[in-house]
Amino acid sequence: MVRILNFICVALAGFSCLTLYHVSERTRIAREELTVVNHQIVAERNLTNVLEAEWARVAEPSRIQQLAQQQLGLDDRSSAQLASLELLPRRGEAAAPLATTPLRNASDVVPVKPRNPNIHSVSARTGT
Amino acid sequence: MIEKPTTTYRKRIAIAAALSVAAFALVGLRLVDVSILHGNFSGGAVATDKPLRSRADLLDRDGRLLARDLPVYDLYARPHALVDKARAAKELSSVTGSSQLRLNRVFDSTRNYVLVARQITPDQHDAVMHLGLPGLDFQRAAKRYYPAGRAAAQVIGVTDPDGNGVSGLELGLDKQLRGGEAGEGATTSLDMRIEYILAHELRLAKEEYNAKAAGGIVMNVDTGEVIAMTSLPDFDPNVRKRMHGDSSRNIMVQDVYELGSVFKIFAFALAMEDHTIGLDDQLPIGRGFKIGKWTIREAERMPAFLSARDILAQSSNAGTAQIALRSGPVRQKAFLTSLGLLSSVKSEVPEIAYPLYPARWGQIETATIGFGHGISVSPLSFVTAAAEVVNGGRKLTPTFLKRDGDARGEQIIKPETSQTMRSLLRYVVTNGTGKSADVPGYDVGGKTGSAEKPVNGRYISGKLITSFCAVFPINNPQYVVFVLLDEPGGPKARGVFALAGHTAAPLAGRVVARIAPILGVPRQPVLADAKENT
Repeated sequence: MVRILNFICVALAGFSCLTLYHVSERTRIAREELTVVNHQIVAERNLTNVLEAEWARVAEPSRIQQLAQQQLGLDDRSSAQLASLELLPRRGEAAAPLATTPLRNASDVVPVKPRNPNIHSVSARTGT
Repeated sequence: MIEKPTTTYRKRIAIAAALSVAAFALVGLRLVDVSILHGNFSGGAVATDKPLRSRADLLDRDGRLLARDLPVYDLYARPHALVDKARAAKELSSVTGSSQLRLNRVFDSTRNYVLVARQITPDQHDAVMHLGLPGLDFQRAAKRYYPAGRAAAQVIGVTDPDGNGVSGLELGLDKQLRGGEAGEGATTSLDMRIEYILAHELRLAKEEYNAKAAGGIVMNVDTGEVIAMTSLPDFDPNVRKRMHGDSSRNIMVQDVYELGSVFKIFAFALAMEDHTIGLDDQLPIGRGFKIGKWTIREAERMPAFLSARDILAQSSNAGTAQIALRSGPVRQKAFLTSLGLLSSVKSEVPEIAYPLYPARWGQIETATIGFGHGISVSPLSFVTAAAEVVNGGRKLTPTFLKRDGDARGEQIIKPETSQTMRSLLRYVVTNGTGKSADVPGYDVGGKTGSAEKPVNGRYISGKLITSFCAVFPINNPQYVVFVLLDEPGGPKARGVFALAGHTAAPLAGRVVARIAPILGVPRQPVLADAKENT
């Protein structure tokens, strides 16, 4: 009986050693993989941070406006040239009031005179 | 006699064996539990690297990036490990931009560890690595980057090389930004689209009128949020060295001005609140108003009599002085105090200015303060008070952080007074000095202000501070736009053409015309037969 017990104990000890080694090795490998992945995540996040900052710089309003003017020929419009949807004529209706009615305020005339070429004049000049 | 000890030993062995088996069984069970039942190692004990962001982001109200820490490196060297110190100094200088002279000096010193360059970029890091020099150490660090550059530079502020806030929101929100985790950030009230337009128009006007300085504020009248604030000259926060002509001073919060006629808003608000005058009451203007040994004169020729309504519209100093005197010094001082004009404005921006007003507040002071002389306040303080006048008469605390919903406080002016003031401000734009600030479809109300600058106790006629305070849409005000030009001059602003009606008012109109569609302000139909809101 004692021999059987001893055998079982030794066998369990051996099994435990092997299993412990196996688990320990798996843990070490997992830890290394985790470190690598964590470093990758940090690197990716740092890269994302840089790219987001870069995006914020290239999407800055002044740059967008400059590009819109140079590449698309767009410009600011006077407020009198804007209209809400309800002022637009529906199909079959007469022309919208805006098309035929003079402006209420003469101050909406938009002077377009060239300014300093270093500073692009892009605003709708509504004053005098 | 012989069997007894044998039985005892056997029992002891059996007990020891049982204990061993139990212990091994426990270990075995735990192994099964760890390796099979909970086989997925969580890694909780493993230290994870955090992204290199020691300071949280600053964002505008729509989440656009205003300031962020970017990864950089501090480069150190161990001089004794360098084989050819002169060559190393030359190569490191060319890659990092550090002074070659300094590097030669520190490499020849007896120090074991010397700083080569701070905050080198990842590209420079790679270039240094390619040099293949021994004895170099990199320490990871962070550099604060401001993608919007000069836009709202004074409001956003800067940090020192160690990442401590030293001015603007960087200083005011320092504790919050330091405690912020990666991905978090402080969301400000600024809208960078509006900021760009305000700065752009101010820059154009400053150049056109050759002004010494220019500034502007856009504020939400219901929340007190500062949507945009510009102070010119400004600076590039990404460059530590200031260029010639740059300034890190925020004149909108750090300086105080005698703002002149825009202050008449408060004299009239008080008169309307206390019913000391009717809008159609006529007052003598003529050649000025005598008070004691002083005569209050006008900037431009005025008729002999004007109604109270036209006194504001034509910006008559003599008429406003008479209206202010009806309120009296005690009431006027109490009213301006209730609007917060006699104390410094507290906000998240740490820079503040203290108002200047007379210690002895007598009749003459009451008259001059009525039209904005003899009292100096910061533009932010003025804008907050003006917003309180038009927002239904309720207290407002300015903020640079995003707020949701109505943030108006206690009632300080009757709603009817606020309504009357809105009508009067619209009248100034349709029939008075503020005509060039009008923007069809957005019903702008406002007031001009042209104040002579005091120099050594005397007002200099050729040196003006011109400003315009615009409110839109006037029926249901949402925003106040305030612009200021310091000493507008040049060929386009000579004589009367330097006054606010010709300089600041059109500037404010241009700003409103551009920002109103972006802010989603409802647009009124622009029709010839539309009724004026007077």
